Order: sequence, then C-alpha cells, then structure tokens
Amino acid sequence: MSLRFDIPIARTHQFWDALRVGKFVTTKCKACGNVSFPPQGDCPNCMSSDHEWVDLGTDATLVTYTFVQITPASFVKNDPYMIAIGKLSSGLKVLAWLEGGKVENVKIGERMHLEARASEEGNPYYVFVRS
Amino acid sequence: MSRVAIVGLGHSKFGRRTDVDVAELAFESIKQAIDDAGVDKKDIKNVVVGSAGGWYEESLPAVIVNEYAGLTSVGTMRVEAACASGSAAVKTAYNSIVSGEGDIAMAVGVEKMTEVDTLTSVELIGRAGSYMWEFENYGMTFPAYYALYAVAHMDKFGTTEEDMGRVAVKAHHYGAMNPLAQFQKEVTLEKVLSSQVVSWPLKLYDACPLTDGSATVVLASEEVAKKLTDTPIWIRGVGYSSDSANLSKRDDYVGLAASVEAARRAYEAAKVTPRDIDVATCHDCFTIAELMAYEDLGFCKKGEAAAMIREGQTEVGGRIPVNLDGGLKAKGHPIGATGVSMMVEISKQLRGEAGNHQAPIRNGVGLVHNVGGTGHYAYVSILSRN
Repeated sequence: MSLRFDIPIARTHQFWDALRVGKFVTTKCKACGNVSFPPQGDCPNCMSSDHEWVDLGTDATLVTYTFVQITPASFVKNDPYMIAIGKLSSGLKVLAWLEGGKVENVKIGERMHLEARASEEGNPYYVFVRS
Repeated sequence: MSRVAIVGLGHSKFGRRTDVDVAELAFESIKQAIDDAGVDKKDIKNVVVGSAGGWYEESLPAVIVNEYAGLTSVGTMRVEAACASGSAAVKTAYNSIVSGEGDIAMAVGVEKMTEVDTLTSVELIGRAGSYMWEFENYGMTFPAYYALYAVAHMDKFGTTEEDMGRVAVKAHHYGAMNPLAQFQKEVTLEKVLSSQVVSWPLKLYDACPLTDGSATVVLASEEVAKKLTDTPIWIRGVGYSSDSANLSKRDDYVGLAASVEAARRAYEAAKVTPRDIDVATCHDCFTIAELMAYEDLGFCKKGEAAAMIREGQTEVGGRIPVNLDGGLKAKGHPIGATGVSMMVEISKQLRGEAGNHQAPIRNGVGLVHNVGGTGHYAYVSILSRN
C-alpha cells in the first residue's frame, strides 16, 4: 500500500495561481476585515464566508529558525534544509525554507523576503531568502 | 462532584518490542493493572484506549486490545490527542465514572512505533502539524518543530545547548534506575553535546526515541476505591487546552500556551499551587520541552528554567523532582502510552513505592504534564494521596 492524498484546493487556488506568476496573495474577510494566512475561505474570526483576495506582502523579519539534518522519508533525496518562521509587515507569520548562507550566520531579527519557486514536478511553492 | 481514584497500575517494558504485537503489548500492562487493583474484570464498565496509531497494522486498536484481554462488551473507544493521548484516555475514563456510567473504568495507553522503518516514523510524526503548509513542501520534522522553540528560547533567555544537554544527563541518570526504561545507561554531557545534529540546535541526545510500550490504570469511584485499597491516588483536577495546528499562528516560540492554560485550569480544579507539588513528570520529548515546561507550569519564572536545571532543582533533593522514571528521553515515548505511564509513575511516587528513585513526599501532591504534538494539545493532571 502506498498512500497518496488528493488535497482539494478549490477554495484557495487563487493563492497557488498567483504564486505561479511570482505573486503573493491571501484572504481578507469582507465582513470583519480579518486577514488570514494561510488563506482560508471561511473567516475564523466572524465565520463569514464572504472574502476577497489581497496582497500578502513579501518583506519579513526572521522570528526563529532551524537546520533540518535528519529528513523524513519523503525528503530523503533533499539536501539538509533550513526552515524559518518570518513575520511580515502585516504581522502575519509564514513558515518556509530559508535560502542564502549558512546556519552559523543566521540571526533572529534579520531581514528576509518571500520568493516563489517551482518544484521539479512544476508545483509552486515559496521560500524565504535572506535580504 | 464525586471523586475518582487510581487504584491499579500496570506498565510494560518500554523499548523496541519485536517480541509482541500491539494486543500482546497492551495485555502486559492490563493484566498487571487489574491484578494490582484486585478487581474482577467483569466489573470494568468502560475501557478507553489511548493510541495515536498509523505505524502499526491495526486500524481499530481499542477492540483489538479488548478482545485479546477478554474485555468484549465493555463501553470503549480509542482516543487521540497525539502524544497526550494517554492523558486524554485517563480523562475520558474519569469522566465515565463521574457521570455515573459505572464505578470502575480502565485507561490503556499503547503504541507500537517500530513496525515501520525509522524515516517513515519520522515522517508520520512530522506530519503532526498543519500538513499542507508545513509538511507538503517543507518536510517539517518533530525535532524541527521543537528546534524552532529552542532557537527562540536561546535567543531570548540565554539558554544554552549545555543547559538542554543537562536535561538529557538527568533523564539518563534516572533511566538507569528504571528496569522498564528503554535506555538504562548514564550519559555524560560531552556525549550529549557531541551526538549527531538532528535539527539544529537539537541533537540525537536531545530527542526521545521511537518506542513500543503500554501502560494501564484502573480507576474507581470513591465508594469502590476505599473498599479496594488503602492507598487510593485521587485525581484531584485535570486541565487541558490546545493551540493552533500551524506553528506560524502562534504568538511566540519560547513556551507552550496550551501548557500554561492547562496548568492554570488544573491548579484551579485541584485547588493547589505549584508550591504544593512534591514530584512531577514533565513532557520531555525534547530537552528544550522539559525546560519550557518548568516555566509554563509555574515551577519557576519565565526564562529561569536553565538556572533550575543547572542548580539541580529538579533532581531528588531539589525543589520539585521531575521525571524520576527517566522521562520520555530515557524511559522512551510510546506516543499513546506516555500519559498513562506518567500516571503510573506519579501514583507510585505518591504511594511511596518508587524504590530507588523515590522523591520525598511532603504534601502528598504530584503533577502529570503531558503535551500532544508541539503544544497542539496539553494536559495537566494533579494527583494526590488525600
């Protein structure tokens, strides 16, 4: 048995569509103005489903990070990778791989920004790059 | 509200148990607990099984475990709260007695983690967050989650890799006294610090192992407990809480908000304060987790956990001895069994039956702190002799 999950993204495809062309968007509730990341079609604040897509922004400061050296089964072909949580100017936080330099030089509070990437299969994802 | 006591304790050998399947493993602790309680198994009305599952072959562990032990027709369910599934099972069994469903209930924690290869286990635990946004593209691992906390704690409070290493040294010191522990060997700080980096700054010796094991407690109503035993251990209060699945939604990375809230609720329910605690188990899946627990549970102020471990305040003879059974780090961490194993350890401590690792008991009050995931769930249970 090998398990593969087909995860529906019908209600958040706008995020991935924008990412394919290098843009970052997320959901904003039209009823209460709450902005979410990750994007979600239903507002976790007021529970309204009426939302619009707004610019997420890409500039961030580094909140915390790690350097993963023992990787899980699905990532055994990857080189060890750094993972960071960054805080955007909106206050929303994002978790992603961190590119640029060695772990010894990384500092909490430093500037970085989000960039779009495409996987070998052509699927969009995003990374932080040290500014 | 009627009172509920722990009246029977059972605990299997923890480790790589290729000699038994999941039902046989559960049976080891079930048999002991029923014998220890002195109950007839026909009088057990509810059996709650804590098990995260996914790494062993059975999809319905509750009925598999019950059938093997001859417990068919009991009220039963499997409960999941990740690594706190054991505490959730005890709480659920407790609820069945409080609500009047029966006078005797049993909580079984069991996990079999070594039937799949190690990297598959690493992956299954790594998915214990928000899959789409943390695992699918980024391959988060369980050590990586706690490493994000360790880095932030080091940056904010000056906690060092040596401080985290001291937690491992303490765990192995007590694990060496526990014949049921996975690792029964002392380690030096040098050995911990020079071990392989798993997810910087966490190293192999900062991490608990993958473990097979089971633990069981029999619970009884006040009326029945007093007939069964002279040393009932009362469940005085349980607090539990949760946090976001996605780590990026947390306010900070220097403590677990779910632990803080669970502790507040437990202290309030039991009408005790951290000063009253004689002995505790803290959820040390990683060494940084034990340090954060000291702070989150109010054993010390925020940022002072490193001083506590340096000064030996959580060893026997210190202010609050913690994890005298070796903790998750040395005893092992069979996910669903861990919370029940903690209840067994604290009950033994309060009965005065902990032998070579007995803590001095002054107030007769002990604390069980059991975290699921990276503070996705947290359970704090206060046990007492009175």
